[in-house]
Amino acid sequence: MEASALKAAYLDYVRRHGHAPKTVFAFADAQGISESEFYRAYASFGALDRELWADFGRDALTQASQEPAWQGYGAREKLLAFYYTLLEILKNNRSYALLALGRSQRFRPAVIPRVLSKFEDEFKRFVAELLREGHGTGEVARRPMLEDNYGRLFLRQLQFILLFFVRDESANFERTDAAVEKAVTLSFDLVGRNTLDSAFDFGRFLLHKHE
Amino acid sequence: MPSDHNQPQESLPTSKVARAARFAKTGLKVGANYVQHYAKRAVGADSAMADLHQANAEELYGTLSEMKGSVLKVAQMLAMEKNLLPPAYAEQFRQAQYQTPPLSGPLVVKAFRDAFGRSPQEVFDEFDMSARQAASIGQVHAARKLGKALAVKVQYPGVGASIRSDIAMVKPVALRIMGLKEETLRPYLAEVEARLLEETDYKLELSRAQAIAAKCGHLPHLQFPSYYPALSAARILTMDWLPGQHLQEFQATSPSQQVRNQLGQALWDFYMYQLRELRQLHADPHPGNFLFSDTEGGTVGVLDFGCVKDVPALEQQQFLALLAPDTLGDPARLEALLTEAHVLRPTDPPALRAMYLRTLRQSLELVGRPFRQATFDFGDPAYLKSLYALGDDLMQDEQLKQQREPRGSAHFVYLNRTYVGLFSLLTELGAVVQTGA
Repeated sequence: MEASALKAAYLDYVRRHGHAPKTVFAFADAQGISESEFYRAYASFGALDRELWADFGRDALTQASQEPAWQGYGAREKLLAFYYTLLEILKNNRSYALLALGRSQRFRPAVIPRVLSKFEDEFKRFVAELLREGHGTGEVARRPMLEDNYGRLFLRQLQFILLFFVRDESANFERTDAAVEKAVTLSFDLVGRNTLDSAFDFGRFLLHKHE
Repeated sequence: MPSDHNQPQESLPTSKVARAARFAKTGLKVGANYVQHYAKRAVGADSAMADLHQANAEELYGTLSEMKGSVLKVAQMLAMEKNLLPPAYAEQFRQAQYQTPPLSGPLVVKAFRDAFGRSPQEVFDEFDMSARQAASIGQVHAARKLGKALAVKVQYPGVGASIRSDIAMVKPVALRIMGLKEETLRPYLAEVEARLLEETDYKLELSRAQAIAAKCGHLPHLQFPSYYPALSAARILTMDWLPGQHLQEFQATSPSQQVRNQLGQALWDFYMYQLRELRQLHADPHPGNFLFSDTEGGTVGVLDFGCVKDVPALEQQQFLALLAPDTLGDPARLEALLTEAHVLRPTDPPALRAMYLRTLRQSLELVGRPFRQATFDFGDPAYLKSLYALGDDLMQDEQLKQQREPRGSAHFVYLNRTYVGLFSLLTELGAVVQTGA
């Protein structure tokens, strides 16, 4: 059995039952495969979950970049397009997303669920790419030292948006759309050249005067 | 902050909490203004109450303009009811143009994917991703399909959802700062909220626009765009791209008096027909909703039917009767009409009643003047000046100042707003209009 078919069957199971299968054996058996065949593809249901989330991210990026307008987008708009496409995909998988994110939320509200780890790794690579591009277009200011933390800033943003989506109760999740728009604008205002840079520059100038 | 008013908004407070925080901040600053005022008075400095209102109004306005449109719009509408607000507030809000920050390209694409499952470039032959102008709660894009130039209005997401919470938020602040009572304001806010919610429904706007265009199609020198239901959805509205310019640009081309008269006449006839025959008003005569051109000696393009007011028969009768030429000369009839419209109350003490009658007679004499003449020159600077002077006089009136509660039907909010808007359009055009029935 193909790994992708296994993934689809697992997603279907979780959505229908509201929980992961009790054992790998029971799940594999229901798919007509042996337990060891399952392990050849995934070490555990947890690994499968992480792969599912990584898929959401990959699909979002692929779909967003096929949009006719994509080529004309700057870094900020590319990130927006990514989020909106991701949310579209999650809307079709909301039951699963609620389970996966909601489950860990109940116990550790501040901690981001491990299911996202693989997705987040790939997201960081995507953001790093965007930031490089942003340097070129001037959307992102060069700030040695500080710059290294941008990845984490955007990771936080992703988590914020996912959690906002999970809790959003507006029709068609329009509030999440608005949240994305504002969060991304804010983040690019922060990483773009702003008051901070001028203040820093000014401070440096004053210090140099006394040397 | 007043100098920032015309800048596009760069950041909006996001959550309800953040917006509430903005309000709290205003409350604090307004409080500080009062403290300053009383401190100055304590040391004998001359700090006029008007200064205080001015400072507060600027503070409040600065805050409101940072918030999403509905709050600002509520404030603007309240400002139309001049006796609800001290003049400084009214002045600040009148300058306000309704602004929302531009939607990002991806969000526009998303709105299309939500509505049609396709991107705008697939729905249209051509679609310009950068918006041409801001619409009341979204923005307008230029597009092309089958050789036709189209205007596509795209709405900001979540506007409908936030109107209720915005109004709930603006209420306590409005009450506190303007010194009004809750029950006085309630029917007016309900009216405003109903209209605002309707405005977010582009499906409704489309059907109304088509209906009004069909009913007014016979009026000369007016132009209505065709609307395209197949290319429209709850948050997207597609119509013809009408030729013409907005009033200010059009005036800059120095059109002849004849052209301006024809344009003014077209507008006047349009509104009279709506009020008298349709009992349905395009209740937002904001200059941005009209396009002017000198085609055929002057043609007005009518856009944006988001705010349409159905006027109940009773209010229509009262309004028309008040404006009728012979009402003014007949004090008994005027008094009866005003009592009927609940502007005068049987419980009013005689002195108060006399005061209301006097001021209303004064306003009616001026506002109703065009209705009592066969032709009227809206370009006459003396008329405009006396209109402003009247407003100022009313605001200066000590007795009236203490009566800040609104009177009369809540429907009058929109009737007033419509006529204030129409008159200011006509005066800006400087048109001579045949106004007599």
